[in-house]
Formats: sequence, structure tokens, C-alpha cells
Amino acid sequence: MISIEGLYKRFEELEALKNINLTIKKGSIFGLIGSNGAGKTTLLKIISGIYKQDKGVLKINNNEVFENVDLKSNIFFVLDNPYFYYNFSLKDMARFYKGIYPNWDDKKFKNLSLVFNLDLNKKLNKLSKGMQKQAALHLALSTNPEVLILDEPLDGLDAVMRQKVKNIIIQEVAEREMTVIISSHNLRELEDFCDHVAILHNGEVILQRDIDELKADIHKVQVVFKKDVNIDYIEGLNILHFEERGSIKSYIIKGKKEDIENKLLWYEPLVLDLLPLTLEEIFIYEMGVVGYEVKNIVV
Amino acid sequence: MLELDVKSRVPIYEQLVEKIKELIIMEVLKEHEQLPSVRSLASELTINPNTIQKAYRELENQGYIYSIPGKGNFVAPINKNKKLEKVNKLKEELKRLILEAIYLGITKEELMELYDSVNKEIKEGRR
Repeated sequence: MISIEGLYKRFEELEALKNINLTIKKGSIFGLIGSNGAGKTTLLKIISGIYKQDKGVLKINNNEVFENVDLKSNIFFVLDNPYFYYNFSLKDMARFYKGIYPNWDDKKFKNLSLVFNLDLNKKLNKLSKGMQKQAALHLALSTNPEVLILDEPLDGLDAVMRQKVKNIIIQEVAEREMTVIISSHNLRELEDFCDHVAILHNGEVILQRDIDELKADIHKVQVVFKKDVNIDYIEGLNILHFEERGSIKSYIIKGKKEDIENKLLWYEPLVLDLLPLTLEEIFIYEMGVVGYEVKNIVV
Repeated sequence: MLELDVKSRVPIYEQLVEKIKELIIMEVLKEHEQLPSVRSLASELTINPNTIQKAYRELENQGYIYSIPGKGNFVAPINKNKKLEKVNKLKEELKRLILEAIYLGITKEELMELYDSVNKEIKEGRR
């Protein structure tokens, strides 16, 4: 389990993280989403022990991470743009990591080369961005990490490879309860992959929840009323957003599906449609609440 | 066996619960039959094992399956009530649709025609 309390980090004038509180359970696939510059990468770098926080506590399995070699040998961080030593091939990098990570698994490395299908002897720096990413994931999984941290992991991978990578990660989670922390802007992809998400904005966590609970708690509702109903206020409903197109009224309402349905059925609507929101829509509405909105801009 | 619609807005967890329920009610999954393990289903469908675990727990709460620690999850004996529950839910849904149909001016005869044509399709094995 990873527990984070009151984490604070500044870089000169910039307060990158203000007061982060998070709990990540073992075996969870945890999605970290947020606006650009929200502090996601800084947080990931603290979790993996690259940066030291200025204030607050970060513990993995009840131990502090920073300069804790034993703990860090069970953590692997795949960066957005992976780094390899100059002139190193995949084979050389494998040898290097084998010397650092005690849980390195030669057999797994071999099996994974059937999935990734990279040339072991080619210089990594000469490969394309997508192939470098594959190499990084190949190496990461071969270290058998207890915590795998992924920053924009699937960026630059083709559709087939994305599916393969997801499948391998899922197997590792199912078999040995590996914990995965994954930051991405591809919300459609995170939505099906993660069980928990946290939204970061301006160095703060504005929301942290089980993804299914989150989705069960907010709905897009389309209604056509028979007679005029006071449309932007309905007793007992928490309406976040309202739009009207002709006779179709569309709402974003916070609350359980049954509650919303029951309250609206009372008005005997001609049409009543309840749709769960996508993670992307939830993100946009939640960001709107903190003043980070999509506005129509004319350039 | 399980087809999930990844484009749908309905959460994977809910889709799983509904699909498995359906298979149990239709008796595709028989009484005391073992369900696939969380691990195998996760890697087969590329779905988060925690999601599958949660769906199984929900099905257990609703009495559709039972679990034996260390052995796995099994289909619970179907209770006639479960079928009745489904029928009642369907009737409610139909009522709502019929209401809509009436407002749109669809006649009783047209509705009956629809019923007959679907029924015919089933008999001819086209559905």
C-alpha cells in the first residue's frame, strides 16, 4: 500500500505540489489525471524516490522511499521519454538492470521478447520513439516490480501494441498483485483500465475515487417534458449543468440513477434518457468547477 | 462467452454483472457450474482484475453466484423469484416504451403486429 500525506514540493517560486493526500492499495491500477502542469510527473518522481518532498510523508508498505535501496529495487518508473545509455543495446540495458534489480527475471525477459519483438543488439538510441517505449516497458516488466509507475505509457505505441501491453500488465496485476500507477491524458483508455482515479490540478488533488462509484454518481440526462416544467430547478436534484435544444433538455445531474429517474418520472416526461458520463466528461465538468473551463474561443 | 462493448458508456463493471446475470437466467451457465477465475477472465478480456472481482462480489450479493474460498465462484441454484424479478423489470420498461409509443401515435394493432413478427422470427430460428 502507498500512503501519501500532506505532500508538498516547491521548485524555487513554483509550488509544484501543495497538499497531496492519496492512498493507493496494493494490486490496484491507479490512474492519475490532471491539467497540464498540474504536478503529475513531480508526484510520480517523488513516489519513485527521484525527488525528495519538502514536507509531508510518503510511505510504501510503511517505509519511506527516498534513498531506501531495498524498497526502490521493487519500484520501476517508466518515463515519458525513456533514457538509455549512449550506444547501449537492449541486451546491454538488460545486463545493467540485472545488476541493479535483484528480482530481475531472465526467463520473463526472454518471454517478453516474443511480445515486443525488438532486436536485442540494435542501439536503442537509433530506434523510433514508439520502439524505445516498448524497450522501456520490456525492461520494466522484466524487473518484476512490486510498483510499476508509468508516465504516459501508451503514447506512441500502435493499437495492437497498446492492447498487448495492457494485457501483460493486467496479467501481472492478477497474478502477483503488482500495483500500477499510470498517468495519462488519454482518458478513454484509462477509463477501462484503472480501478481508481485521482484528478490533480494546480498541485492539489481535487478528486480521488473508485472509478465505478464515480461514474455511478453523475449522469447525463435527456428529457422531453409534456408540459412546461421549471427546467433549471427540480426539487432534490443537484443539477450541475443545463442545456436546451428545441424541446430536448439535457442536464448533468449528480446523484444515483434510481433517485434521478424517480424524481423525473414524477413529471411524466415523454422521453427520459439517463446516460453515465465518460471519464472525459467527468474530468471536464470537475475542472469547470475549479475554474479551468472549456470556453469558446475565437482566434 | 462474454462480449463486452468497450464503446458503450455503461461501465465495464455493470456490463459484466448484467451479462453474467443474463447467462444465468437463460441457463447458459448451469447451476453449480464454475465461473472462469478472475485471473483467466482478466487476461482473456484484458480487463482490470479488480473490476472482475467487484462484479463477482456484486453477483454474490444479489444471490446469482456463490463462492467457495480457495476454489472459485459458482452459479447459485436459480430461484424462480429471480426470473420473476427480471420479468417485472421488463414489464416496467415495456410500460415506459408503450407510453412513448402511444404519445407518438402508434396504435395497438401496430404494436401487436410487431409482437407477432418478432415471435415469428423466433419460431423460424432467425433470432
